[in-house]
Amino acid sequence: MSMDAEWEVWRREWQSETAVRLDLRKIVERQSRWMRIALIADVLVTVVIGGGATVLAVRAPQPDMVVLAAMTWLFVAAAWTFALNANRGNWSPSALDTAAFVDLSVRRCRSRLAAVWFGAGLYVSEIAFCLGWIYRHSPEPRTPLWAWLFFGSLTIDVVWAATLAFAGALIWYRRRKRAELAWLLGLRGQAAEPVDRRTP
Amino acid sequence: MKSFTGTDAVSVDAGSSKVLERAALEQSFDRLLTANGPALARLAGSYTNTPSDRDDLLQEIAIAIWQALPRFRRECSERTFLFRIAHNRGIAYLARTRSQPPGLTEEIEVHDPAPDPESGLAQEERAERLRRAIHRLPVVYRQVVTLTLEGLGYGEISEVLGISESNVGVRLTRARQLLRESLENRR
Repeated sequence: MSMDAEWEVWRREWQSETAVRLDLRKIVERQSRWMRIALIADVLVTVVIGGGATVLAVRAPQPDMVVLAAMTWLFVAAAWTFALNANRGNWSPSALDTAAFVDLSVRRCRSRLAAVWFGAGLYVSEIAFCLGWIYRHSPEPRTPLWAWLFFGSLTIDVVWAATLAFAGALIWYRRRKRAELAWLLGLRGQAAEPVDRRTP
Repeated sequence: MKSFTGTDAVSVDAGSSKVLERAALEQSFDRLLTANGPALARLAGSYTNTPSDRDDLLQEIAIAIWQALPRFRRECSERTFLFRIAHNRGIAYLARTRSQPPGLTEEIEVHDPAPDPESGLAQEERAERLRRAIHRLPVVYRQVVTLTLEGLGYGEISEVLGISESNVGVRLTRARQLLRESLENRR
């Protein structure tokens, strides 16, 4: 069989599968709505948390409340700045050629891995500040710090449980991203190999 | 009675032009998917192991096309644009699921859409064997094969994958060899 005839037979066999069982238009419309909601939710969380702390500081303008509002905005600003910086240059149309897309995906993966460390650091700073602030405002006479931190109240126990869950999620996410990065680098390596080495 | 100002006219114009833009976008989207839906489904199937995974990936591809369509300035052909998106989503899917590392061979569950008339059975079996063989190819070869089978020439494949035309040729030669061996071994 000639080479062209062989391709022609394969092409007919390959194209014999013609079923598309999904209503793609409906799916796209539903997904677009969710994406808009997710974007609004990000902004809403920022406004509610930052705005709430500001309202508290305005209603009771004591130095501690001002510090609380200022630190809240500082944490929010740090999170947004990091997120925007990490994504700078990583956003681009999905219609890049495949080689460029693999490069972009490698950069995205590395950004996400850096974000894991940033997220952990930010979380520890926030928890340290919040616990310090709450302890300072706990009623006199205060229990010793270590006892307050570990057996102080159900709320504090919930904070530690949330911290453990957050740490677990970060470890899982980091493993996943490292595996993704390894796979992408493997693919990039394969694609970049000199063609003559792969041709017998 | 409310008077109609120049500002109102501008906002009505802007509003109606947005509606028109949206309608044009929806029309293009529908046209592209009607013309290329089966090809996109086949490409999605080459990256996944089961029909339900294929459908999930096809949804991702459709969403990516919908998002990219407003920025499509016809620097390349529509097919190049669509197949770039399809392959990029496929790679992102494989990276995420790592369901099939490059080069790994495994059995897959292939969707069988054909009714089952006796006359078409042998042909359907051959088609299924081909799909399995293609699925067993390493990703870099699988891409050139699927694009060739969709009828793209070297120039278009090189635009989709971002490699030179000579590289397309070399990959295709090697891929054909692997494909033949795979089909003969499983005969």
